[in-house]
Amino acid sequence: MPSPLLQIRDATKIYYSGGFIGDKKSVVALENFNMTIDESPATITTIAGESGSGKTTLANLVLGFIKLTSGKIIFEGEDITDMTDEQLKAYRRNVQAVFQDPFGVYNPFYRIDHIFDLVNKHFSLSDNQNEYREMVEAGLNVVGLYGEDVLRKYPHQLSGGQRQRIMMARAYMIKPRLIVADEPVSMVDASLRASILDAMLRLRDDHNISFLYITHDLSTAYQIGDQIYMLYQGTTAERGTAMDVIDAPQHPYVQLLIDSVPVPDPTDKWDVNISLPSEEEMRTAAAKGCRYYPRCPHRMDKCLVVQPPLYKMEKPKHEAACYLYEENEVAPIEPPMLVNRPMTEAAVATAAGRTRERMVAAVLVVIAFVAGVLIASNREPEVVVETVIEEVQVLVTATAIPPSEPPTATAPPAAAPESQVIVPAFVVEPAGAVDMGSIPWGEDTFGEIENADDRHIYTFAGFEGTTVELKLITGGRGLSGTGFYAPLATVYNPDGEIVFAFDRARRSNRGELTFAADGDYQIAIGADDRGRGVDAYTITIEGEAPEPTPEPTPMPTLPPPAFVVEREGAVAKGEIVFGEDAGDEIQSVDDRHSWSVAGVAGTTAHIRLITGGRGLSGTGFFAPFATMYAPDGSIVLAFDRARRSNSGTLTFAETGTYVFVLGADDRGRGVDAYTITIENEEG
Amino acid sequence: MDNQKIPHPKSLPQNEGGTSKQDSSSSLLVGEGAGGRGDSERVVLKVENLRIHYATPQGDVIAVSDISFNLYEGETLGLVGESGCGKSTTAYGILQLVQPPGYIVNGSIKVDGTEVLDLGEEELRKFRWTGLSLIPQGAMNSLNPTMRVKDQIIDVIESHEGKQSSKEAMRERIYELFQNVGLPNRIYNMYPHELSGGMKQRVCIAMGVALHPTVVIADEATSALDVVVQRIVAQTLVKVKDEIGVSLIVIGHDMGLLAQIVDRIAVMYAGKMVEIAPVENIYAEPLHPYTRLLIDSIPSIKERKPLKITEGITHDPRNPPSGCIFRLRCPFAWQHCAEAEPEPIDAENKHEVACHLYDERFEERRANAFATFANP
Repeated sequence: MPSPLLQIRDATKIYYSGGFIGDKKSVVALENFNMTIDESPATITTIAGESGSGKTTLANLVLGFIKLTSGKIIFEGEDITDMTDEQLKAYRRNVQAVFQDPFGVYNPFYRIDHIFDLVNKHFSLSDNQNEYREMVEAGLNVVGLYGEDVLRKYPHQLSGGQRQRIMMARAYMIKPRLIVADEPVSMVDASLRASILDAMLRLRDDHNISFLYITHDLSTAYQIGDQIYMLYQGTTAERGTAMDVIDAPQHPYVQLLIDSVPVPDPTDKWDVNISLPSEEEMRTAAAKGCRYYPRCPHRMDKCLVVQPPLYKMEKPKHEAACYLYEENEVAPIEPPMLVNRPMTEAAVATAAGRTRERMVAAVLVVIAFVAGVLIASNREPEVVVETVIEEVQVLVTATAIPPSEPPTATAPPAAAPESQVIVPAFVVEPAGAVDMGSIPWGEDTFGEIENADDRHIYTFAGFEGTTVELKLITGGRGLSGTGFYAPLATVYNPDGEIVFAFDRARRSNRGELTFAADGDYQIAIGADDRGRGVDAYTITIEGEAPEPTPEPTPMPTLPPPAFVVEREGAVAKGEIVFGEDAGDEIQSVDDRHSWSVAGVAGTTAHIRLITGGRGLSGTGFFAPFATMYAPDGSIVLAFDRARRSNSGTLTFAETGTYVFVLGADDRGRGVDAYTITIENEEG
Repeated sequence: MDNQKIPHPKSLPQNEGGTSKQDSSSSLLVGEGAGGRGDSERVVLKVENLRIHYATPQGDVIAVSDISFNLYEGETLGLVGESGCGKSTTAYGILQLVQPPGYIVNGSIKVDGTEVLDLGEEELRKFRWTGLSLIPQGAMNSLNPTMRVKDQIIDVIESHEGKQSSKEAMRERIYELFQNVGLPNRIYNMYPHELSGGMKQRVCIAMGVALHPTVVIADEATSALDVVVQRIVAQTLVKVKDEIGVSLIVIGHDMGLLAQIVDRIAVMYAGKMVEIAPVENIYAEPLHPYTRLLIDSIPSIKERKPLKITEGITHDPRNPPSGCIFRLRCPFAWQHCAEAEPEPIDAENKHEVACHLYDERFEERRANAFATFANP
């Protein structure tokens, strides 16, 4: 178990104001906040939230500018409030700060080199001028700058991005363990932010410096962050890895927040106007119970009584403080505080004891299972075993690729030797192959990819024209912005050829592949060439086996549609616009609009839906129901939960009468307005 | 100092001819090919060859260099670029608020046919708020902290319409403005410090539209706000624009936010306008290399991508490079870019772009350039 660098336990900060006698007003800036940053590997921990959420209070507490009302902050085993002067000096060396305003921290009358001279003076880095100059140059190089370009300049001659990177270089020279970066990019132009973020990544990856990255900008947190804490009025609303939280927010506040991040795509606009109760906007004082209660669309009476604890979510380490998840397990309290070095080892052992026991037991089970598989199979390449994982029955297949079969052409460790193949955590294989669905594989699942030779291999049936989507997550570093260490994941077609690879050239953690032919495809997920494994991944397979005898789906028996437009039997070409307030709206689960459309093979129809609520916005929670049927009654396009968009295009495969049915989603929220554009060529 | 710059030789977007020169608002119907919103072709603001310098002892800094554009009735135009590109200076130029050492070298700014540059001091004072109004950057700091919200709004109205006799009517009118921007009536008697940042920003919007101006300019009106409040303010801005029927210029550097609220986008780089196009087209297919860079550098919350690292404007603004202003940072620049300044070209999909790559003569070069850029 990694030892912690920084631990924050039950940190509470209350500001008191006014009131001489009695009548003291207090503002709770931070309440019972817990956080742990591990010593190694270095990470970027994001603290996000709106103003007043307590994020800057947290930064100031960690930097020692203000004192806690209660709770503890422990750095490398020492409580910072009990530190001796000497320890404090070391602490200030180890914890550096980079602030928001890259303009305000400079004295405009001094050249840049003066900043570094001051650092040398305060921290006595080197007496030797040459050595010192080299240190400065090295520091600047780390953040992508060169001494000759910047040192003799005045602050106003540099861009905001350069100034902020000089602050990073300055911090780096002191060789800290942690940099508290309070909104380091918010005053810098969007196009220049990347250079600062890149400097942070380099410091983390190459120099093992962790960051406490305080920001309200979720998109940069998503690009570079490892862990994220979403604060709301001094409490943690949700936490987890930045990707888990931002991809699938669970707390209602975080959902609203992420939905409000403007998407740089004019075709994906905010579909609803939001408003805040004005009392809320102006409120500063603390309340009892859940802080989000006054604004929450899901509020319940019990939310007012006690603040909800953090509940465990589906993904490991993902937790949200909301009673909506009351049925989930409450996240365990943080590991006990580790105070003072000598105690560390023992404390770690005790803390890890319980977990370790569980892990050992489970590992044994896995080992036994693997052994069983290999023995039972007599090293046959494929075995099917049934097991039960948390009440979900899954068919598990361990597929070891025979060394001879896979291609050896390009990707080096295409198929690891049999002995090194780790049994995948599980493989869903109905009838020999995965048909459709999602394979999520998270951190802390057993049998992780940890060495360069480890592989997880899945076999699944691909059908021509259907797709598989892959999303990989590394322990933080690999897939970060710079894309230095692309993890290795390879898809083989039935002929054993590589049809898709996440390699160095592919600078993204996501990919989608459309199957060119029917057959069994294999995905091998491994580690990159630096031996860094893929920590977690999701494979989503879309598409179904084309039925040998396509059984025409019976037309759904629907209540009489509100209206059906049937011009000469069907709409042939043009636009069907149905707006809000048009009357005959879809209002209950049973309402339907049905349109018959004369489709001409090869031409297209474009459908765009608008809901009155939050349904189709980014989070895509409540997909509304709209279905397009081909002339034979089969469904050719459906707006369902899986489809996270409010628009879609359908190319008619054949000429005939298509039926479009629009209704309400499974929560009874109707489609408010829609546009159907049919671009038939009269044929 | 070359104050007497020759006006930029480019011809204006489309078939204007000399017709609109002395036009009154009624005859400003201009057939317009590039841009436009479709629902109105009427030009409410016409900026031609606007050039603004800042005088410094070492020579003039060219802040805005011969830019021209139209704003259509009911349209929201986004003006985007990195800091120092001249977008705010353009706005202040339009409002005649450029402070010394800044000065307007040449150009023409017509609001509904009225030449703003010809207005005298008193006319100009009247014209602000009624013809043109500004929602300033960091509006929270532009309210007077010692005056109640109502008094500040009444001040704006009375300074243009004279003393109003009926207090009751005035209050109703202010309540209506509050309703427009989604503020509760009880802030009527409050002081600015009692309001949140988002509310102060909306008070500024209310003041900006109080006299139903023709054109409202919002300068980074949401940039200091939290995401949720930013969304509320941005949506308020659009709603008020539609309800009151003004035309809006939104200045910003957040390409994500602009994508949500504007109809057309004009991209500025170092004082030049390099591309202008309807918002859907510019995001789907940015043409100018700088626009591509701007759009590529937007961090996504949907996909982890490599960081696109760029430096800011690199040249000395007193001595812009010869030829194309962007050539020092352009991955496609070649000899010709240093020799000739690109003229605005009407490109496909209503784009207007100032880049030699879109010159018909260099079509082959363009194809090659983009091909190698896509697969390095």
